[in-house]
Amino acid sequence: MLGIPLKYNIRNLFVRKVTTGLTVLGIGLVVAVFLSVMALGEGLTHVFAASGSENNVLVLRQNSQSELQSGISRDQVPLILTLPGISPDADGKPLASAELVVVLNLEKRDGGSSNVTIRGVGEKGMKLRPGLTLVEGRWFTAGKSEVVVSRSVSSRFRNCAMGETIKFGAYRWTVVGLFDAGGTAPDSEIWTDVEGMITDFKRNGYSSVLAKTAGRAARDQFQAGLAGDARLALEGKVERKYYDDQTSTAAPIKFLGFFVGIVMAIGACFGAMNTMYAAVAARTREIATLRALGFSRLSVLLSFVFESLCLALLGGLLGCALGWLAVKLALSGVTGTTNFATFSEVVFAFRLTPQLFGIGILFSLLMGFFGGLFPAGRAAFTKITNALRQVG
Amino acid sequence: MKFFPFVFKNLFRKKTRSLLTLGSILLPLFVICVMGTLLRTLSGAPADGRGMYRLVVRHKVSLANFIPEAYRERIFQLGGIDEMSIWCWFGGKYIDYSAKNQFARFGVEPEKFLKVFDEATIREGSAADWFSDRSGALVGEALAKKYGWRVGQRIALTGDIYPVTLDLTIRGIYAADNSSALFFNWKYVEEALPRIKGRIGTFYIKAHSAEAVDRLPKQIDALFENADPPTKTETEKEFQNGFVSMLGNVKLMLTGICTAIVFVILLIAANTMAMAARERVNEIAVLRTLGFQKGTILGMILGESLLLSLFGGVFGIAFFALTFPGFRAGLMNTQMAGFAAGMKLFPSVLAAGFGVAVFVGLVAGIVPAVRSAQRSITDGLRQVG
Repeated sequence: MLGIPLKYNIRNLFVRKVTTGLTVLGIGLVVAVFLSVMALGEGLTHVFAASGSENNVLVLRQNSQSELQSGISRDQVPLILTLPGISPDADGKPLASAELVVVLNLEKRDGGSSNVTIRGVGEKGMKLRPGLTLVEGRWFTAGKSEVVVSRSVSSRFRNCAMGETIKFGAYRWTVVGLFDAGGTAPDSEIWTDVEGMITDFKRNGYSSVLAKTAGRAARDQFQAGLAGDARLALEGKVERKYYDDQTSTAAPIKFLGFFVGIVMAIGACFGAMNTMYAAVAARTREIATLRALGFSRLSVLLSFVFESLCLALLGGLLGCALGWLAVKLALSGVTGTTNFATFSEVVFAFRLTPQLFGIGILFSLLMGFFGGLFPAGRAAFTKITNALRQVG
Repeated sequence: MKFFPFVFKNLFRKKTRSLLTLGSILLPLFVICVMGTLLRTLSGAPADGRGMYRLVVRHKVSLANFIPEAYRERIFQLGGIDEMSIWCWFGGKYIDYSAKNQFARFGVEPEKFLKVFDEATIREGSAADWFSDRSGALVGEALAKKYGWRVGQRIALTGDIYPVTLDLTIRGIYAADNSSALFFNWKYVEEALPRIKGRIGTFYIKAHSAEAVDRLPKQIDALFENADPPTKTETEKEFQNGFVSMLGNVKLMLTGICTAIVFVILLIAANTMAMAARERVNEIAVLRTLGFQKGTILGMILGESLLLSLFGGVFGIAFFALTFPGFRAGLMNTQMAGFAAGMKLFPSVLAAGFGVAVFVGLVAGIVPAVRSAQRSITDGLRQVG
């Protein structure tokens, strides 16, 4: 079987510039919209997926879904710290931090307001999160009303820049440093000393305790110890798992992305089909000639499907380029939405991954394949004698 | 020659192409209607008449902090208040924590609450039964339908913020614009957890008049400005918009998607019209020779484009209207249930979809129409294929 040269199809695409251009642009826009929405979902997922350590255990009150709902009293903390499994720090004390989490309603720089998590940490808090780096200023001093703010929160909320004061009625906090957590959960937070925070917020205990364990065995031992003490009514979650459970925040956005992407892809597929039908109709005599020359039906079919795939691939590539440009130019920088597991702001950046580009291209190829199949079928089953006789 | 039947005939001259174009206008318009409904729900106005003049008072710092119940008397003294009720978010879990089992659960003061939340009508059971049973619950129609709840049925809520398990009996089912919440007597929680007594989440206020709604938020917040804790008072609409603003730039994103979609349909429709006009160059020249004016030719092509787009648009909107109940029911099983309950077939959204169809029809047809009308007869007749 002899194949029709691929060059034939590629040249044909460029003969009908306007039609090809409009179809490519249509497919491209669909892919670009899909990619932008998915980049948002992906960025949000990434925050949770990159947060937390496998070896850290977060102790919460039983049945608490988040630190915000949890409560641990002062007298429970020493009991937790004596449980076996927690790694000791260099000073011999257990490497664990009792923390208080509260949300504050802060005004955004671009208007509106949102809840931001403020976290009071113990002296070992930083050691438990090695990904955290100070980028400006210094850490807060225990006993003073000082806070360090993540760089992302600082750029999105009022009164959160270096040296500024965050006020809430009776409370005043001076920003003495900015930190960066590399796109993980603490990037949406403000940190301060836990004891000062308990006093200022008139709380009588902590929200959670984060403890480091040496490895799987120690971790299991510690979790079992917690579960075994019924008086405590606490449970230990692997920190990694705790954040994993919050990725559902991104689910509606991803659903929206796929919904818009798929429905629009079917629409654009119809458009591609139109273009291909026109391409086939305009070349009826040509196709008949090819068949008369001895090219098989299959060759003709494959040839037109290939042409459609080329058309769609151009659209897909254009879409990826448009999507990339949109994310780089218009959607760069960090943005935020509310994590309804904690009712507080989660700061994230749009994120285009190679997989997403792959899905975008695959999307466009599917549009091309289905858009080309039926017109190609029509071409392949053209009656040679009738078609040759046809005028124009 | 009758103008309209001719345009109509032309439209379906190439059936496959017209149907495909219809399809590629129908589907995007469906998406536009969905997006529009989401946008409209996000910026939803509160009910008129009953359901107006409502305010929410909360802790200034955030909803997660409590305010003293003792503020009630001082707020009442400001005047202009018909009724006010405790309104506390309970959270907790029903069955499990999965998204499909999330719905709003509030602790309230039943008698007072129903006077504030006055657009609710009791459909089954009675308000009196609810008032007299401390462990009674009032549930929304949409919610009751979702779980198949009946009056008299018992349901258990396990608390997390408030470590207590509530064993509730459904005493009434209410209907309202958004009927996806469960309300119970806050006393039940206070009795189980004496330590939280006197500290509540928010007050839900029914003001007497528009004047009071304007005046009260400033007065209430001024009253507690230097108190511990200070308060933040908003109209119910502002309070809900606060949640929307927390979502970030969702509105901008939805609007962006809609704009891109309109552009996609425009491209597809323009492509079809360009093809249709190209095929008919000879024919149009013949029509011109027969004495038809340029204006008629212009109207003919433009009319065909408009008709095609309107067909697609109307079918798309109809498709949306037909599938809407199913779509909404589907969302009721997700974490967006509270949001879905506020969704309706908004006439303004359907009208906007229709507007898009008209716009696309006109813009897609204009270039081929003008070109066809302007082409000289001799050129047109000379053209092959």
